[in-house]
Amino acid sequence: MHMKLTESLQHLKKFTYTLNSLSEEEWTNFSTIWQTGEAKRKSILTSKGETEKTLYFITEGVQRAYYLTADDKEATIVFTYPFSFSGVADSFLTQTPSLYFFETLTQSSFLKTSHSKVMELLDRYPNLERFISRATAFALKGALERQVELQTFSAEQKFTTLLTRSPQVLRLIPHKYLASYLGIDAATFSKLLSTVRV
Amino acid sequence: MTSYNRDTLIENLLDQTEIVLKKAIEWQLIPHSTFALRPSSESWSANECLQHLNSYGRFYLPAIESVLSRSEKRESSTQFSPGWLGNYFTKLMMPGTDGKPSTKINSPKDHAPKTIIESRLVISEFIDQQEKLLALLNTAKKFDLNAVKVGISIAPIIKLKLGDVFRFMIAHQVRHILQAERALAKTGMVQEKLKVISLTTLD
Repeated sequence: MHMKLTESLQHLKKFTYTLNSLSEEEWTNFSTIWQTGEAKRKSILTSKGETEKTLYFITEGVQRAYYLTADDKEATIVFTYPFSFSGVADSFLTQTPSLYFFETLTQSSFLKTSHSKVMELLDRYPNLERFISRATAFALKGALERQVELQTFSAEQKFTTLLTRSPQVLRLIPHKYLASYLGIDAATFSKLLSTVRV
Repeated sequence: MTSYNRDTLIENLLDQTEIVLKKAIEWQLIPHSTFALRPSSESWSANECLQHLNSYGRFYLPAIESVLSRSEKRESSTQFSPGWLGNYFTKLMMPGTDGKPSTKINSPKDHAPKTIIESRLVISEFIDQQEKLLALLNTAKKFDLNAVKVGISIAPIIKLKLGDVFRFMIAHQVRHILQAERALAKTGMVQEKLKVISLTTLD
């Protein structure tokens, strides 16, 4: 079940090179800062108020970041799946306390590395900095698109969009998290599930 | 009487709960008309099986949470010795090798489903309870499973060791999840059979 380091690194390499090719030296140095890790379902990896020190590259499972309101309601902000970076991105990049909790929603495997190791490499290799900058730019693009969806889409459009993008989540995680992510109530979600064909 | 390594027991209980939770997550996709269908007029639907388990969860999960909040953390005791009553209840609940109940028991009336409740609500409550149970099992790693005691639902004056309450509760869930699987199979739903981890032997 647990993916081996070499296999995980192959996925990371593919992900990295899609955004920005690295020299052999750059990749060799970048690949040595990672180690494998795993977490069971519902493990909180980062709590609100902590500063994110870890960058994750997800190889298995579903995770989420959520905001906890003053009256203890959870709002799911983002899901992550293989193969992509994960963690509380803004806290990691700014090194300021996280406003969010980051947790696993299923048994998860990943590669992880630390902020200091990443920064050290970015200082040495401008090309790696370009890679991180591109990854951040695409994350920003995704976040703005999601903002548009939240403000302009009907419940049905949101539902269809999510399930076209990530159909597998329906059978992997409790639907309350999906409803929360879409900003619709559980009853509406259930109605859409039984009526909308994706 | 044999005793368990506490960490091994908790890992087994966590694994079994994870397996049950995964099953419930898949059941979210089954329409209410199927999920609430009785295989015969005498036997429960999958919906009723989960309602029955939910009624136990409503009693035991807050009971365990409250007793843990009042108990002292003790990481030193690494062994758990089941009590005779805990063993008796757990054995009573564990299925036979064929996956069918080894004993016929009439469920207490207080815990029998009385009304039809929408399946999505029943499944969603059950999922919430399983997530709570996982969290309590993780918390329990820091406590003595022998010393912490919880009163049982049918007679609160009778107290079981925390380790036995978890074993009984999870074995009870397995019993009725298997029953729900059989009810669903009668409706023609083909699905993977629940993996059962023994909670009565030392492995």
